[in-house]
Amino acid sequence: MLAATGARAEDSYTVGVIAPTSGPVAFVGVAQLSAIQWWQHDVNEHGGLNKRHVELATCDDQANPEIAVTCARNLIAQHVQIILNTSVTGPVRATLPLVKDGPVMIVASPAIEPDPSTFVFQGLPTDLEITRALLAFLKANKVDHLGMIGATDATGEVGVADAQKVFPPAGVKLDVSRIDLRANDASIQLMNVTKGSPGAIYSSYSGGGAATVVKSYANLGLTIPLIVSNANVTNAFIQVIKTDMPQRLFGLGMRSIVPALVTDPANRARVEYFEKSFKEWNHGSVDQLNHLGLLLADAAGAVLAHVKDPNDPAAVKAFLEHTPINSVQTIRYAPDNHVALKADNMIVVEYKNGRWTKADPLK
Amino acid sequence: MNPLTQAIISGLMMGAVYALLATGLVIVFHTAQIVNIAHGEGYAIGGILTAVAASHDLPLWAALAIGIAGAVAFSLTLERVLLRPRSSWSVNSLILVTLAVAFFVRGVLNVSVGSDPVSFPRAFVGPPLRILGGVLPLQGAGLIAIGLLAAFAIPLFLAKTRLGRQLRAAAEKPDAAELMGVNVDFARSLAFAIAGAYGALGALLLVPMVSVDFQTGLGMTMRGFIAAALGGMSPVLAILCGLFLGLAEAFVTTYWDALAKDPVVFLALIGIALWQSRHIRFGGSLRA
Repeated sequence: MLAATGARAEDSYTVGVIAPTSGPVAFVGVAQLSAIQWWQHDVNEHGGLNKRHVELATCDDQANPEIAVTCARNLIAQHVQIILNTSVTGPVRATLPLVKDGPVMIVASPAIEPDPSTFVFQGLPTDLEITRALLAFLKANKVDHLGMIGATDATGEVGVADAQKVFPPAGVKLDVSRIDLRANDASIQLMNVTKGSPGAIYSSYSGGGAATVVKSYANLGLTIPLIVSNANVTNAFIQVIKTDMPQRLFGLGMRSIVPALVTDPANRARVEYFEKSFKEWNHGSVDQLNHLGLLLADAAGAVLAHVKDPNDPAAVKAFLEHTPINSVQTIRYAPDNHVALKADNMIVVEYKNGRWTKADPLK
Repeated sequence: MNPLTQAIISGLMMGAVYALLATGLVIVFHTAQIVNIAHGEGYAIGGILTAVAASHDLPLWAALAIGIAGAVAFSLTLERVLLRPRSSWSVNSLILVTLAVAFFVRGVLNVSVGSDPVSFPRAFVGPPLRILGGVLPLQGAGLIAIGLLAAFAIPLFLAKTRLGRQLRAAAEKPDAAELMGVNVDFARSLAFAIAGAYGALGALLLVPMVSVDFQTGLGMTMRGFIAAALGGMSPVLAILCGLFLGLAEAFVTTYWDALAKDPVVFLALIGIALWQSRHIRFGGSLRA
């Protein structure tokens, strides 16, 4: 379960990574971990950080809270300088109490909004912020009725709760139906949310089986615009649904997924370098989850490069709270805010001509 | 859309798959007297091999044939290499062997194909059928028709054909059957081959409308087993219980909540198991 890459050297840094590389959301962990591994390779190839090599201690939590706790305990016992937790809501929540005295842990589950007094930081916008980004898109397109499919897991719970907080108060009618993570058919859920002819359907379902929603959508011959969650703006997801592609498929993505929309020159250069180098290294393509993995790794890299004693969690926390970090997007934490990105870092993208681009108007 | 009609359509589609899986479990149970926990891996292997073959631009019919052949080969290998040489072992031990095989296959599929779900094009393409306010994709219609025809062919095969009767005899009294000229080893191999083919058939019909990944198998075994157990391992009742299970899941999701699906289904399983064992509990001799 726990693996360290390369021999442990006295003068190396060790970054702990918890990644669900098997289990129901394995594609989430595999994609983020591969970007973190690219980062490690790239850093070490360029002489390391402060002339010290970087090692990864990785642990597959299988998206299982009990295994995640074991992973976190083992990484803490190894005295890693920082933990990158790429898992999903339930397992991430289970590990939070273990880092109350450090080390700093950066998580990538939008459902987690860390308490700023803790050593936990969020790498993505919170789900609430992502939901607000979707609201902005719906408002711009004059959509006042949304159908939503949410999973029955902890991530789905948060997604539905945030949608209830955001859409009805803003005048957008919301119809929600829930789906089991391992469901083989979503036609009943789609039927439930399309009764009132909504202007769009949002599938916040982020497991690999989210393809079931898209395929059931095709089964029913629906034409209402379909928006998938940020976890599904991936190549793997497109591969599964390519034979049942909706007329128009939208997704919630980080701005960097369309590099032309990244305004900061340093960030854009980082995106372009990463995409070129990662494709050569991985012999594959790049998607949003790779970007997210890199964002977490860049935060860790900044800590290791600039904090005098990265073994001191208080020093690492203070550094993150006061230093913007360039990555695929600028990471900005503050003493009263441990969330890296905001709603304006997210955009609605549309899948066209074999790639994700800025979404055209809905109508 | 009409919720009742859509629930029935969705329930029949899933029910047809559960019926196929239950039938495969039952035919193996009736010849080898074991519950094959690795049965659902035939579904996963069939679906994943077909998807991989289709992704290499093979014609769909060839990809489907490869999927079925792979699942049959897996099932035959399980019987010939692992189970037959250990036929003297207790049933419980053999069930554990099949459980280990299920996890082994999961691991091999994960390592060789990856963790991402995969799928492949539909065999039945065209506008969906609109029936009484419900929508039935052509692939779904094919699934229901072919799935149920194939499932109901098994009880007929077991009851009406010489080979089918030999299969049953091989299970009930293997020594006597052998004395009567029945090739027991062949009968068991045939049962496993049919089970593998039926698992793959379920995948070939359903996966184009959903997806499949390396860990789908055990879930499918579970659904098939529930249907088979509810039907008391009777071939006909197992099919009907597969349909009932699919419809029950669809109705709970439609009229209650997806969260309630598993509690309701498993509560029904507990209830029926208790009812079937009533004679044992009250001093009789009937076993569930």
